[in-house]
Amino acid sequence: MTTYILRRLLLVIPTLFGITLLTFLLIRLAPGNAALIKGQTGENGGHAMTAEVREQTIKLYGLDKDPLTAYGDWLVKLAHLDFGQSLVDHRPVLTKIRERIGLSVSLTGSALVLSYLIAVPVGIAAALRRGQRTDRMISFVVFLLYSIPTFVAALVLILLVAGGDYLNLLPMYGANSIDASEMSGPAWAWDRIKHMILPVICLTYGSLASISRYTRVSMLEVLGQDFLRTARAKGLSERRVIFSQALRNALIPIVTVFAMELPALIGGTIIVEEIFTLPGMGQLVFQSIEARDQFVIMGVVTISAFVTLFGYLMADILYVLVDPRIRFE
Amino acid sequence: MNAPVDESYSQRLARRFSRDALALTGFWLIILAFVLAALAPFLANNHAIVRVADGQISFPVLRSLEPIEWRFLINVPLAGLIYALRRPLFRNPQRGGLIVAVVVIVVQIALAFVQPYNDVTNDRTRPATFKLMPLIAWSPLESSPDALVGPSWNHLCGTDSTGRDVAARILHGARTSLAIGFVSQVIALGVGVTFGALAGYYRRWVDMVICRFIEVMECFPSLLLILVIIGLSDSQNNMIVIMAVIGLTGWTGTARLVRGEFLRLGGQSFPQAAQALGAGDLRVILRHLLPNSLGPILVTATFGVASAILLESSLSFLGFGMQAPTPSWGDLISEGRRFIDFAWWLVFFPGVVMLVTIMSYNFVGEGLRDAVDPRLQVK
Repeated sequence: MTTYILRRLLLVIPTLFGITLLTFLLIRLAPGNAALIKGQTGENGGHAMTAEVREQTIKLYGLDKDPLTAYGDWLVKLAHLDFGQSLVDHRPVLTKIRERIGLSVSLTGSALVLSYLIAVPVGIAAALRRGQRTDRMISFVVFLLYSIPTFVAALVLILLVAGGDYLNLLPMYGANSIDASEMSGPAWAWDRIKHMILPVICLTYGSLASISRYTRVSMLEVLGQDFLRTARAKGLSERRVIFSQALRNALIPIVTVFAMELPALIGGTIIVEEIFTLPGMGQLVFQSIEARDQFVIMGVVTISAFVTLFGYLMADILYVLVDPRIRFE
Repeated sequence: MNAPVDESYSQRLARRFSRDALALTGFWLIILAFVLAALAPFLANNHAIVRVADGQISFPVLRSLEPIEWRFLINVPLAGLIYALRRPLFRNPQRGGLIVAVVVIVVQIALAFVQPYNDVTNDRTRPATFKLMPLIAWSPLESSPDALVGPSWNHLCGTDSTGRDVAARILHGARTSLAIGFVSQVIALGVGVTFGALAGYYRRWVDMVICRFIEVMECFPSLLLILVIIGLSDSQNNMIVIMAVIGLTGWTGTARLVRGEFLRLGGQSFPQAAQALGAGDLRVILRHLLPNSLGPILVTATFGVASAILLESSLSFLGFGMQAPTPSWGDLISEGRRFIDFAWWLVFFPGVVMLVTIMSYNFVGEGLRDAVDPRLQVK
């Protein structure tokens, strides 16, 4: 097993390089970079800039070097955890990300936990009543939820429960109330939780479909196996057969699904943070794309990809740790 | 249920699929959506379908068609006709091929001469002895003086902030949304099948390299990737770019699947038999391995269409959507959200139509998966 984990860890190295290379190519080859320079020299009717400023801009974007050197330089900087500076406010990218990553992680984490808590029991219920009305109802509802775009759900929720058109239960936007800095600890926490309810709901409901479907399939596979018949033949109650025999085996693959949900959730934070004006990574990257803030985009994209990669790695390792049947020599 | 002994793979899939009521409903709803989208100019238009005036009969709706619509409306039935007549036509393959080639070439040349009429006459108000108007007597870009009016007999789904008929815009927007879902998945399928087949067939270092590439692609959240590409590129955000970007970021699932199927099938005896008979790699891949993994591929593609339509709507919301005269459903919803407090119909109707379409695709995908997966069969 140690060899397997070691080999899995070694495979991360080429992927890490691939991620940095793809990120770099994406930004470097985007036609917008060249156009930006062109636009600022006045060819597109923009303000003409002096040769000096133009040279500075080119240098700032690293466009004066050939791509290979530029990539190499960026990699070396990355290795020192130096993501460069924002072109908008000249603050280090890492500082900007550090300020915002906590909010996004707590959003994504809560959404993930919540969707597991809901989807796993729902998936099991569907599997146990396979083909019956409950199963069909569940699959209908989770697919209905999955088919609603996040921003539509957010709009409707805001309209209904926030802001006062119908109900005024929850705040419409922001991570905290304006007077949050004067609040005591528990009051502040409660204020934060109230602000997070709607965003977390919007992030959660979409993942219910995949996790519950996955649970259902995994459970069905286990239910069809011979050891359950043996367990029943031994005279175990149906309850024990399902909950202590079948469930344990069915849950193994589900433990690792969280990694597959990560990319969708990170994408979802962009929309959710934009709607609820939450100062997280998603909002940061969206603003940076609009401002063409190259190094911030590169930083956020790389870090998001690294986090996802780490998720996949965890899932793979978890899988062998949880399942005693998998043996590697 | 007793399965007929001699049924083919596709017949078995069809039989299992049609047992699933939701999937079957979804399938017919998708067909309906495509038919309505194709016939949009005949269903929502301010040009009459038939008009009799001064003793002359005319078909004004034909004058409102763009050249691309002519091409579509003629070529699709033509393809269907050739397919339906394939047996009598190709009884003599050479003569059949010649006939088909001549017909197709003549039709395409004729279509190349079709010019847009730019006819702005409005038959709704123009007097006539007899006129048959389309079901929705408004064109999608036509503004009426009644802005932000709720649903009525005149405007079935209300009007938007500039007085355009929402029902007409939904119908015409169906083309954009359905096309984005379909074409982006064709692209994703092409890339995914190619990479998956190469990895699963040649194994060794090819597999190693492609698997790393797939893993790299899967680490990037696709919405983030798409936003960066579209946001940084200077091109006018046209439909082709959005389709291509959605397709090029969404192929990894298909690739993994095809690779897995090829690895599984490669160990069986039939591809080896084909190779022993002298079939080349390409022939084994295309004629033997690919048809046997078609079922699962179809499943991912169906789910892919649903997620592509969803993705496109998110892009519209974030302001990186299409800048075309005929908007997608996502664009309609994003436009309408500014008025959601009092003009609910602007979000509700396009939202429901999009929801039903996406759900249909998902149910079809789910039904296909149950039909394809042998492990899940009821014994």
